[in-house]
Amino acid sequence: MFPKREPQKISIPTASTGDIAFLLIIFFMVTSIFSREKGLKIVLPPKGAEVKLKKGNILTVSVNPYGEVMIGDKKISIPEIKQIVQEALSKNPDLVVALKVSRKAPYKIMIQAFDQLKLAKAEKISLTPVKEE
Amino acid sequence: MRKFLIKKEPPEIPSASTGDIAFLLIIFFMLTTVLRTEMGLKVNLPEAEATERLIKRRNVSHIWVDKTGKITIDDNVVDINGVINVMFLKVADNPELVVEIMADSDVDYGRINDILEALKEAQAFKVVFATEYKKIGG
Repeated sequence: MFPKREPQKISIPTASTGDIAFLLIIFFMVTSIFSREKGLKIVLPPKGAEVKLKKGNILTVSVNPYGEVMIGDKKISIPEIKQIVQEALSKNPDLVVALKVSRKAPYKIMIQAFDQLKLAKAEKISLTPVKEE
Repeated sequence: MRKFLIKKEPPEIPSASTGDIAFLLIIFFMLTTVLRTEMGLKVNLPEAEATERLIKRRNVSHIWVDKTGKITIDDNVVDINGVINVMFLKVADNPELVVEIMADSDVDYGRINDILEALKEAQAFKVVFATEYKKIGG
């Protein structure tokens, strides 16, 4: 007679599933694109809600079609805005900064000016709508 | 003289369940990830030092504006009136909506001004101008 064959235990090796899973996690983490949701926040006023302000409480920063920035009648460079606005804010904390940009001005310049206002910690920023010329 | 001979077992951390834990993590991340389904337009975002990150991604809707002034929302080309209509519906659906304007840095400001006016009309008051980080002093 043949010797009785011992039944073999069948098993699938599972020791490495954890490693495989972690490898997958790392792969997805590396290849996923992080959110691009970033930018400069502003809250718009409702349409037609015009608030009357005292003249002394408004500082108008205007940008002309050539991308030049003016405060009042004085032409200034973009990095100077921050300092001027900061000084004006320290004198008058209720100050509202109105940003008036020409329709023909590049968006880039508007963002740079807006950025400067944000950096100067101006809380009340108003974007003056401009009509068709 | 020792009374008992204690058999020393090698210390072991049970590793049988690490795989399950890892797969659980994978499934969790897969469920919580919001996939970007929008193609958008080719834009070159402006740079700003004061750029902030938005936290609630699910409430964000994008308006893309390219160099030529073309506007798309959810990959549909729309005009200014279209912006009002689409955004009005979106805001009615979700009052917490934040509109992110993904505009090219070379577009005329007039176009952005029109969009802002349209958003006021559509009662979408929370707006973000999409920008890229710029190194301070750079």
